Amino acid sequence: MENFLEQIAELLEVDVVNEADELKSFEAWDSLTILSIIAMANENYGVVLNAAEINGANTIAGLWSLIESKKA
Amino acid sequence: MEKYVLVTGASSGIGKSVAISLSENYPVILHGRNLDRLNEVKNICSLHNKCLVWQEDLVQVEKLEEHLQHFLLENEVIIEGYVHCAGLMKMLPLRSQSLINIQETFNTNVVSAMLITKVLSSKKWNKGGLRSIVYISSNISNRGAKAFNVYASSKGALDAFMRSMAVELAPNVRVNSILPGAVFTDMTMDIFANKEVEERMKATYPLGFGHPQDIADGVNFLLSEKARWITGQQLVIDGGRTVDITG
Ligand SMILES: NC(=O)c1ccc[n+]([C@@H]2O[C@H](COP(=O)([O-])OP(=O)(O)OC[C@H]3O[C@@H](n4cnc5c(N)ncnc54)[C@H](OP(=O)(O)O)[C@@H]3O)[C@@H](O)[C@H]2O)c1
Repeated sequence: MENFLEQIAELLEVDVVNEADELKSFEAWDSLTILSIIAMANENYGVVLNAAEINGANTIAGLWSLIESKKA
Repeated sequence: MEKYVLVTGASSGIGKSVAISLSENYPVILHGRNLDRLNEVKNICSLHNKCLVWQEDLVQVEKLEEHLQHFLLENEVIIEGYVHCAGLMKMLPLRSQSLINIQETFNTNVVSAMLITKVLSSKKWNKGGLRSIVYISSNISNRGAKAFNVYASSKGALDAFMRSMAVELAPNVRVNSILPGAVFTDMTMDIFANKEVEERMKATYPLGFGHPQDIADGVNFLLSEKARWITGQQLVIDGGRTVDITG
């Protein structure tokens, strides 16, 4: 999870993120960031996500559970 | 020696449709990485003409020339037409691009096309048999869009290469490219999977989205004698997408 927090902070162009942070609250949150998350999840965790699922995850923690649930 | 048309990326989408359609008129060489997929396409190709399979990963460009030379010798074939359909598209903002992705995209979309053209236009390896080349570019080549940075520039490079080769290889070889708009294939599956995006895009296509066969028809024309006075051109086949400036 620590690695994930670092990766996601880089994609969102901030120094740190917290699990409870809402995805939509970040300034860098847009369709391009979603594309980056899709690629990151695929490359680092071998899971395939789509934009609707990512939007539905709401928070950083939600995004992590989404990836975890797909890994299973 | 029998004369063939080489279609790279013949295992899927546009290349598959191009290969099946060309097999009615020419012996074809189907290229790709996945033998099972290539053999499936071979089974659909016309029985009127011969059909060979060439398996090669175009990301690995170091040995590409050598491998193609070997293929030509071993199979005793001459290639009179070359259609480069193989392509890689990873839509990402530049901040998420990596050197590896940039190199893989350029190797697949441009560098391999340069090296294959080099071998096929050499008297030694292809006996001066080459007559026509069609590179499958994209309508992004002359435009811009978010997340298309690396892919778009690879297609721009391919088109620039096309124009110079049209001059360098004249009058023996005609060299053109086709710039498709959005066509339903594996490459665009993820984009079309999002209904909202699909609807939004659709509104920007005066003739709606295209099918692989629409591109195959253009390839057939450019390879044929009907295009004997056409070289160095970008043929845009995109249902009117890039001329529509309705606000
Ligand atoms: N679909 C569109 O809307 C659209 C629009 C504009 C331009 N284009 C262009 O049209 C061409 C065909 O696209 P498509 O939509 O038909 O895509 P596709 O269904 O994904 O097919 C891509 C083809 O390229 C081959 N390929 C990819 N990477 C390769 C590699 N490293 N080595 C060897 N072969 C490789 C694949 O073969 P494997 O079996 O080895 O994977 C496959 O046959 C591409 O150049 C694309 O840029 C497509």
